[in-house]
Amino acid sequence: MLMILATRQDETAAWLANRWQPHGAVVVSAADLSMSGWSLDLCSPAKSSACIGGRKVTNQNIDGVLTRMPCVHEQELNHIVPLDRQYVASEMTAFLLAWLSSLACPVLNRPTPDSLGGPGWRREGWVHLANRLGIPVAAVRRNAANRKNDAEDQTTCEVIVVGDQCFGEAAPPLIENARMLAKAAGTGLLTVHFSGAAADSVFVSASPWPNLASPMIADAVLRCLHGRSAC
Amino acid sequence: MLVLLWGLEADSPLAEVRGQLELLGVPTTFVDQRRLLETEVEIVIGETVAGCIRMGGESINLAEVSAAYVRPYESVRLPEIAAAGPESAAWQHAIHFDDILASWSELTSALVVNRFSASAVNGSKPYQLERIRSLGWSVPETLITTDADEAKAFWKDHGEVVYKSVSGTRSRVSRLRAEHTERFSDLSSCPTQFQQYIYGVDYRVHVVDDKVFACVVCCSADDYRYPANETPEIRGCSLTPDLEEKCRKLAAAMNLPLAGIDLRCTPQDEWFCFEVNPSPAFTYYQQMTGQPIGQAVALLLANAAPESCSMTGSALTSDLYLAKD
Repeated sequence: MLMILATRQDETAAWLANRWQPHGAVVVSAADLSMSGWSLDLCSPAKSSACIGGRKVTNQNIDGVLTRMPCVHEQELNHIVPLDRQYVASEMTAFLLAWLSSLACPVLNRPTPDSLGGPGWRREGWVHLANRLGIPVAAVRRNAANRKNDAEDQTTCEVIVVGDQCFGEAAPPLIENARMLAKAAGTGLLTVHFSGAAADSVFVSASPWPNLASPMIADAVLRCLHGRSAC
Repeated sequence: MLVLLWGLEADSPLAEVRGQLELLGVPTTFVDQRRLLETEVEIVIGETVAGCIRMGGESINLAEVSAAYVRPYESVRLPEIAAAGPESAAWQHAIHFDDILASWSELTSALVVNRFSASAVNGSKPYQLERIRSLGWSVPETLITTDADEAKAFWKDHGEVVYKSVSGTRSRVSRLRAEHTERFSDLSSCPTQFQQYIYGVDYRVHVVDDKVFACVVCCSADDYRYPANETPEIRGCSLTPDLEEKCRKLAAAMNLPLAGIDLRCTPQDEWFCFEVNPSPAFTYYQQMTGQPIGQAVALLLANAAPESCSMTGSALTSDLYLAKD
């Protein structure tokens, strides 16, 4: 069984679940966390379970998880009284961080304390890491007065990393840099933006939320979730 | 050398450290959240980490900062900002200011007490507890569940059980009692944390880099922070060298130059660890025990040179960023 953790409005998640139906893929949203069947036993993780598609599933029967939300948003909790939504959202997010971290199966991306979907870094965090890895970078300037995100203006080339595979029209050194960055960040899924496709292009930004709405990329993700590709 | 302090003037730990730094004659700059609307920040991150803060007529070159003690409150909760509302320029300035300075504090090579990335682990108690356990500490048996039957079985197995929040949201630790069973049907709404009750005596241990300040807390309440009519008795004490070293290693493994560790010692002399607080209000314990915790924090900040302390490397040297081979 594959779990796609996503918001109810996530059309790509619904598309992936449909495409991966033969593999038992099910979308799980915040509302599903308000159902009996979830548990995390810290000292015996094997006893832990989830509620998927309305039924209790032990963690050993989960083959892989694709996470498509950084946290549980209170807007997803219409079934909770308004006064409690913020608290419940925090509790669910905290639970998911621990629960996802306890899974032995492939989880894309592995959660971190600041995001359920991998590193929750700002653009400058990615730039800093890229620079430390020796990747040429475009500097980020930020001040409270100028809130414009100029990463989009500087980007003309995108490389998507899925496990050990890379997708995108870019010179081999850029592909290698994207792969190196994903590895250093510990992410199986990463979109890496460069200023161009030529070898002398510089790194602009990265995001652990690639657009997966393409059959080729979806298939690569599926291979990762099934453990047939490193991720 | 320049030490940057960020937070509110009235915040007790911050005020204590600021006072101690003044006594030591250490050059200090205070980024006062009350003056947020007259403060600007700019950072440039590329081949270097650069930036400046302008407050009134003063300009601070962030490259000169060798250490920082950061205890900001959420700026949008400050009365002036909250009253202005989310659409206001003041609110937007507050959000971006906090975010930019937090970003700098993650990336600078200065010593930061404590980096937000290290503190974030405390946002999920079971996640942190698992890390504590992996570092060799005994931790209480813990179950987080939406399943009333599992909660009942856990309670039956352990006899005495407490419940508390899963997230970093402050909650009162309470013993599960018979009258709570009627609320078990609510468990399906939200994962709830249950924990084996550990009998014993509470200890709070503050670790400041390599210095350890321990105190024993005598109180009969389930949560001594909420003692009802009882006043907790808090006394400074010593730990065995092995236990002190274990506390140092725990704080270091969590990239916390300053940590408040909650321990309980059972009658069988087994030590359990419940939580590591990354932003401890140490002044409460200091007032009770006379332990010079604020002075130790000030000395840590004063003696820091970029990349010199065991935990001063930027977040990029933390385990969060290390390549996984």
